[in-house]
Amino acid sequence: MKAKQRRITRRGLLKGSAATAAATLAPGVYMPAIANTDPIQIGYLPAFTGPSSSTGIGIGRGTELAVQEINAAGGIKGRKIEMVMRDTQSDPTKAVNAAAELTRRHKVAVMWGPLNSGETAAAIQNIARDGVPHIHPCWVDTLTDPKKYPMAFRNGPSNQQVGIGANHYVVNVSKAKKVAIVSDTTGYGTASLDAYTPMLKKIGGDVVYSASVDANNPDLKPELLRMRLGGAEAIMPWSVNAGFLARIINTRAELNWDVPIVGQTTLGSGQTKALLAKPEYWEKVYPNNFRNLSYDAQGQLPPQSVEFVERLRKAKVDFADTLLWWVALGYDGPRLIAEALREAGTAPADITAYWSTKVKSWKGVYGTITWSADNRDGFQQEEIIMVQANSLKDGAFKLAPGYA
Amino acid sequence: MTAESVPTVGGAATSSTWLPAWFEAWFPVILLAVVGGSLPLWGDSFFGIIATRVCVYWVLVSGLNLVVGFAGQLAIGWVSLLTIGAYVASALTAGRVTPEIPAYVSLVIAALFGAVFGLIAGLPALRLRTFYFAMTTLGLSTIVTQIALAWRSVTGGGVGIPGPSMPVPFDTPWGFYYFTLILALFCTWMTCNVAASRFGRSLVALRDAEVAAEAVGIHKPGLLMTVFLFSGALAGLAGGLFASLQSYITPDAFTFDLSVLFFIAILIGGRGSILGPLLGTAVLTILPEFAAPLVQWSTFLYAVLLLLIVLLVPGGIADLLDFRNRKPLDRHREIRPRPELLGQVLGDGQRGSVLEIKGIVLAFGGVRAVDGVDLQLRSGEVHGLIGPNGSGKTTVLNVISGYYAPQQGSVARDGGDFTREGSYTRARRKIARTFQTPRIVGESSVIDNVMIGATTDGRASFVESMLSLSRHRRDEASLRERGMAALALVGLERIANVRADRLQHSELRFVEIARALMMKPSFLLLDEPAAGLSVDEIKRLGQLIEAISRQGTGVLLVEHHADLIFDICDRVTVLNLGKVLASGSPDHVRTHREVINAYLGA
Amino acid sequence: MLVESIISNGLAVGAVYALIGISYNVMFAASRVFSFTAGSVGMLGGVFGSIFIAKMGMPVVAGFLLTLLLGAILGVITEFVAVRPVLKSLDQHLYVLSTLAVALMIQQLTAIYFSTDAVPFPRVIPIEAGIVDQKFWLPILACIVTILGLEYLFRHTLIGRAFLAIAEDTYAARALGLPEVGLRMASYALAGMISVLAGFAAGQLLFASLANGPLLNFYGFVPVALGGMGSNRGAVIGGLALGLFQQTANYFFGGIFSSVAVFIVFIVVLLVRPEGLAGAATARRV
Repeated sequence: MKAKQRRITRRGLLKGSAATAAATLAPGVYMPAIANTDPIQIGYLPAFTGPSSSTGIGIGRGTELAVQEINAAGGIKGRKIEMVMRDTQSDPTKAVNAAAELTRRHKVAVMWGPLNSGETAAAIQNIARDGVPHIHPCWVDTLTDPKKYPMAFRNGPSNQQVGIGANHYVVNVSKAKKVAIVSDTTGYGTASLDAYTPMLKKIGGDVVYSASVDANNPDLKPELLRMRLGGAEAIMPWSVNAGFLARIINTRAELNWDVPIVGQTTLGSGQTKALLAKPEYWEKVYPNNFRNLSYDAQGQLPPQSVEFVERLRKAKVDFADTLLWWVALGYDGPRLIAEALREAGTAPADITAYWSTKVKSWKGVYGTITWSADNRDGFQQEEIIMVQANSLKDGAFKLAPGYA
Repeated sequence: MTAESVPTVGGAATSSTWLPAWFEAWFPVILLAVVGGSLPLWGDSFFGIIATRVCVYWVLVSGLNLVVGFAGQLAIGWVSLLTIGAYVASALTAGRVTPEIPAYVSLVIAALFGAVFGLIAGLPALRLRTFYFAMTTLGLSTIVTQIALAWRSVTGGGVGIPGPSMPVPFDTPWGFYYFTLILALFCTWMTCNVAASRFGRSLVALRDAEVAAEAVGIHKPGLLMTVFLFSGALAGLAGGLFASLQSYITPDAFTFDLSVLFFIAILIGGRGSILGPLLGTAVLTILPEFAAPLVQWSTFLYAVLLLLIVLLVPGGIADLLDFRNRKPLDRHREIRPRPELLGQVLGDGQRGSVLEIKGIVLAFGGVRAVDGVDLQLRSGEVHGLIGPNGSGKTTVLNVISGYYAPQQGSVARDGGDFTREGSYTRARRKIARTFQTPRIVGESSVIDNVMIGATTDGRASFVESMLSLSRHRRDEASLRERGMAALALVGLERIANVRADRLQHSELRFVEIARALMMKPSFLLLDEPAAGLSVDEIKRLGQLIEAISRQGTGVLLVEHHADLIFDICDRVTVLNLGKVLASGSPDHVRTHREVINAYLGA
Repeated sequence: MLVESIISNGLAVGAVYALIGISYNVMFAASRVFSFTAGSVGMLGGVFGSIFIAKMGMPVVAGFLLTLLLGAILGVITEFVAVRPVLKSLDQHLYVLSTLAVALMIQQLTAIYFSTDAVPFPRVIPIEAGIVDQKFWLPILACIVTILGLEYLFRHTLIGRAFLAIAEDTYAARALGLPEVGLRMASYALAGMISVLAGFAAGQLLFASLANGPLLNFYGFVPVALGGMGSNRGAVIGGLALGLFQQTANYFFGGIFSSVAVFIVFIVVLLVRPEGLAGAATARRV
């Protein structure tokens, strides 16, 4: 695991979890904390190991900082909040087991995570059945549903929204009508491909190439040649696999092809950059990102984010090797949870009611959230924008050219 | 006095402890029922979900156990069948291919698909060496995952599809737990029955003594395919249950780690056991859940465990729990055959039959191991076959018993030619044999080894054995009674329940003879049975062979011990360099000049 | 452009598979068993290269030599831990389990201590990309060097002929006084070096990634199975053919169907000729 700096809290969490696990080896004996001074337990299901772990690590840093700050300011009416963490290892099977342990054995007040769509898809049913209020940042559209999962809320964009933002940039802002859209073969990749291809056509795009490619394939030249043959004016890759994205960028350069690459956020991660054959290949690469965490034309972050970055620096949270928006996302989640706990109490129905009614234009560092009883996807469409990958500075980017 | 004493009551085995026999045989079922059934009393609902997972995995592992643990086929990539079952069940209940199908029906169909693909996955095992077969199962699991990713219309591709939801009363967590527990119990019961049937013994024989298994008529392709079918069905069913447990399946849930878990659970549990792998599955599933920091180390620890088991305790947990075989054996065991019991074992032999071997020529590459050999073996006759090393004696035996097809010549009985038929057909023709080096299943008990001899007499089908129907029980009782009689005949009934690899070499030779006699053979081929025996034992062996021939069986005796040969043989054939040097009565041969020059010495 | 791409990629990746196949063969020749570690150690070749050169900043040559050394050590560990103990036992199939266990341990340790994502592999030779980039001809070069090296070893050196002797007939070799165990350890060390060479040479092509382990294990075995076990010539031809076939199928049918196609070819050839296209039939059983 990376970033050994602020291990104190995490080690504490691990030790606490281990101790709790040991105490609960006598099953049926453990009782939930009901005393008014005991910490409030919040379930936390990141993936720190396994293929999708880079997001987990980034988000984890934000979550840690938020918990530290909340507890330092007095917690929830004197009670500290405690993240009970289980590493899902990017495995949906382990996510189901871990969620059950947190809801049934620890009887956590709220569930935060899992952070990857495949794991949330598996765990959300049981979490809903156990009646636990649930916030997650995953993008796959079907992961919120007011009827099926009445207690689940999303504090990130949905896949639809991300696609709209990217498609809008390609077709309307940069005026590239012929588009090649490509994904890897994971759940996220293929879902995005399936969703965005018709959306592109609807806003007037001409999809000249649409395919899912094995991320382990070392040679993408045949694919890009096919795109070029179709007359593509822009390539839209949808994948969180840095190796795959880097290969696309490298191959574009090897073919001396100048089209813009517009797509998944990971196009702008430090990992992708490290896998590029030459740093100048990163030009004309536009990953999607979030307005709150991007430099405007004058090179300024919004004031709230400037202040957030300051706080990160002061707490010595590293974000150079990850993405600022992951850290911000991790930071906002616990704050939404803490606010509900503070204002509405620990009863599940109260928390859900609070989120459904009182979260309107909530100013998060990551994004502005508005929820309602019918709409659990809180992110605002206008805040989803494209940025320039090679403008990466302190984990944030400049807006892509062409925006008003 | 020996420590082992196994009385038989009406032919059925009684256990060597105070517990009734059915309790011992079905102990895994009982244990699972007691511990699993009482779970809500002492465990919370989190433990319930873990226990549900154990039951689901055990449904698959119980079937895989027959493939890996019993048949010894190293199917490392069995998660592929779990995947197939899961997607079939989910796609059917979600109405992706057909109109929505009820959950129970979809589980049955998932099992059927699993059976078919289990058969397909197992076919390479008939032709390929161990490592190659292991690789093909690995390749298969990758292919299945890729197809699941690609076939979006049915499987939902990378996004996945919801798993089947069970109807009332199995739709609550505890309800579903009991559903899986009942299925797990049923699977445990079935596999216990198979293990204690001639099919289980045959599988183990194929694994550890394939050559001997063929000699007693066990047909490898048929048996293996049956087991793969059965194992595949259970895996498919487990897949459907898994999908229901997960409530939503995506291809990334079917990891190689799962394949490793299934496979290692069996090896840690111990091959040839039901209880061992059951405990192994439970331990490997439960352990990571209760040591949260260890979660990412779990597969590493499984691998370490596997290595330790392989190097230190190849028999696994089952070995550690095998208290019966810890009891020391009496050191001064004597083998005292009782030829007077032959009538009970052999019954009335077929007299007047002739086994005719004519003009056999067999060459390996450029070397003619057998160069034109004629031989006649008659009922009731002891025919010796002698000659220097490398003269082709054992090769002739191997041709007669069907392991080699000669380039020229014929092997026929009463005119019926069966030269080129496979070795496993000899048992049907009542031709039995023993081997130069005893080929015994070391991990099985002596009585189990002997009972293999009469495999072809079993009437119960695999399904009847699996469900412990009456024909199966009659078979077992009869086989066990006959086996004990055969052991009593060779004087080894006291060590019937001992693991065969604890026996002395000479005892193993007599066990082989007992096994061969189980077939009620018309012709018995003995390959150097006296090698390694003491003088007394050789004498008793001779008496036994003579008695066997008097009962009507024709005996072909390949031997180096000249005294034994000339004592008991009615006719003797001498081979040298693949050709017949002399043939006739013992006296004729003994005084034949060339025989003396080539072999006997002055 | 397209054909050139398929050929250069196919030969490059095929050369990597061929090298892993040769590693399998070298271990098989010394011990009559196959080891699951061939591909996993190959994966480590890329990982070590990335750690030493990219992360720790060593010069390329030093990093490469250190990687070779570690490969040799891993080979010896495999022999000592997973192969030697089971050769003595009666149950010959235990080697499948013990080498699988070692390969799994290598994979898991890499996942925990290194990374589960692809990691950049440094540019090995600091020259500009020519007509064909070095990431394509480095593996091919490595394969040629290995073949020539092995030829020289087996034909012209004493120790090479000793290797051949224990491969042909262990008992006779032992009777001649050849140190069987020492030679076997040396063979495994050699196989380990060949494996890491494959992974290192392929570093720019495949990146340093955990996923390469199982990939190389399987696709490195296919040439051995098809070309005949023990036959290095068969492994090279099989490997190159596999690489070309895979890339062609990749282009025409996409990644998923190319894997299925490779697997079907693998199964069909094996079922028709279990000993491979160039191998010898199995020995006497009875």
